[in-house]
Amino acid sequence: MANNKLYKGSLITIILKLLDEGGKMYGYEITQKVKVITKGKLKITEGALYPALHKLEADGMLDVEVEKVDNRLRKYYKLTEKGSKETNSKLQELQDYIKTMQLLVNPKFSLD
Amino acid sequence: MKTANKENMSKSKKVDKEQLDDLYQFTIKHFVEHYDLQTELVDHLANDIESIWEKNPDLPYEDARDKAFKKFGVFGFMNAVEQRQKAMHKRYLKFLWTELKQWFTLPKAIKTAAFFIIIYVAFTSSLFSYFIFAFYGVVCIWSFVKSVQLKRQFKRRKEVSNKKWMLEEIIFKQAGGSVLLLMSQLPSLYNLSDNLFTNFYFILGFSVFSTLFFLWLYISFLILPQKAEELLNKTYPEFCV
Repeated sequence: MANNKLYKGSLITIILKLLDEGGKMYGYEITQKVKVITKGKLKITEGALYPALHKLEADGMLDVEVEKVDNRLRKYYKLTEKGSKETNSKLQELQDYIKTMQLLVNPKFSLD
Repeated sequence: MKTANKENMSKSKKVDKEQLDDLYQFTIKHFVEHYDLQTELVDHLANDIESIWEKNPDLPYEDARDKAFKKFGVFGFMNAVEQRQKAMHKRYLKFLWTELKQWFTLPKAIKTAAFFIIIYVAFTSSLFSYFIFAFYGVVCIWSFVKSVQLKRQFKRRKEVSNKKWMLEEIIFKQAGGSVLLLMSQLPSLYNLSDNLFTNFYFILGFSVFSTLFFLWLYISFLILPQKAEELLNKTYPEFCV
C-alpha cells in the first residue's frame, strides 16, 4: 500500500491529467480509473476528491454537464481552456519536483 | 448453468428508484441540503453500491450503502459541502463584482457620481451628523425590510420547487450578512470626533465608503435577487433550473 500522504499534494494534477486524457469523466469514474492505472497502489478518497473537483470548478478549470444515465442524473466534468493550460503547467511542476527528488534520493556521485 | 445465471443477474443488479430516493434522504440526513450536491453524491453512492453488489450480490442494500458511505472518511460529506459552499460564495462575489463594475461605466456611472456628490455635500454641511444618521438609519431599515422580504420569497420558491440550490440560498438568505456587520458598527459613529469631519480626506474617504456600501447593498438586495433565475441558469445550466 502506497503512502497516500506523498500523493496528497498531487491530487489536483492527477485529476487534471485524467480529464486531459479521458475527456469528460464523473467522480466515481475518476476514483476507479486511478485505482486501475496504479494497480490499486493509489486510492483517491471520496472525501478528498469532491472538494478538489469543486475547487477546480470554482476556479474555472472545469466545466460540468449532467446526463441521465440509467435512472439517475450523472454529473460529468471536463477541462476548460484555462484548465488545459493549467494541466500543462501542473505536469511540468510535477516533473520538476520528481527530478529534484531524484537528485536527493538517488544522487549521482562523480569524480569531477 | 444456474450459477452462471445467478452471476449474470448479480452483474446487472442496479440501484432502483426507491433506493435512489432513500439515497437522497440519506444525504439530507448527513447535512447535504442542496440538490446539486445531493445529485452528485447520490450517483457516486449508487455506483459504489452496484460495484459492491458485483462482488457480493447478496449484501442487503442498507449494508452496501453504509459500506460505500464509510469511504468518505470520518467527516462524511462535510468536506464536500464546505468546499462547495466556498466555491458558491466565490461565484456569488463574482456576480456581485460584475454588477458593481457596471456602476462605474457609462451610463450608470453618472448616477453613481451624482449619488456620491449628494453624499459628499451632505457630509460637508454643518448638519453632517444628522445626515449621517439619517443616511445610515434609512439604509438599515431598508435593508432589514428587504432581508425579510427576500426570506419570504425564498420560502415561497421552496414551496413550488421543493429543491434547494446553494446559490439560490446565498442570493435570498445571506444577502443580509453585510447589514448585520453595519448595524454592529453603527454605535461607533458616535465616538468619531467632530474634528474628523473638518478633514477633507476623511470626508472624501467616508463619502466613497458610503457610496460603495450603498451600491453593494442595492446590488445584493435588489439587483441579484431580480436576476436570480438568470444567474441560477448560468450556474446550473446542466439542471435547467
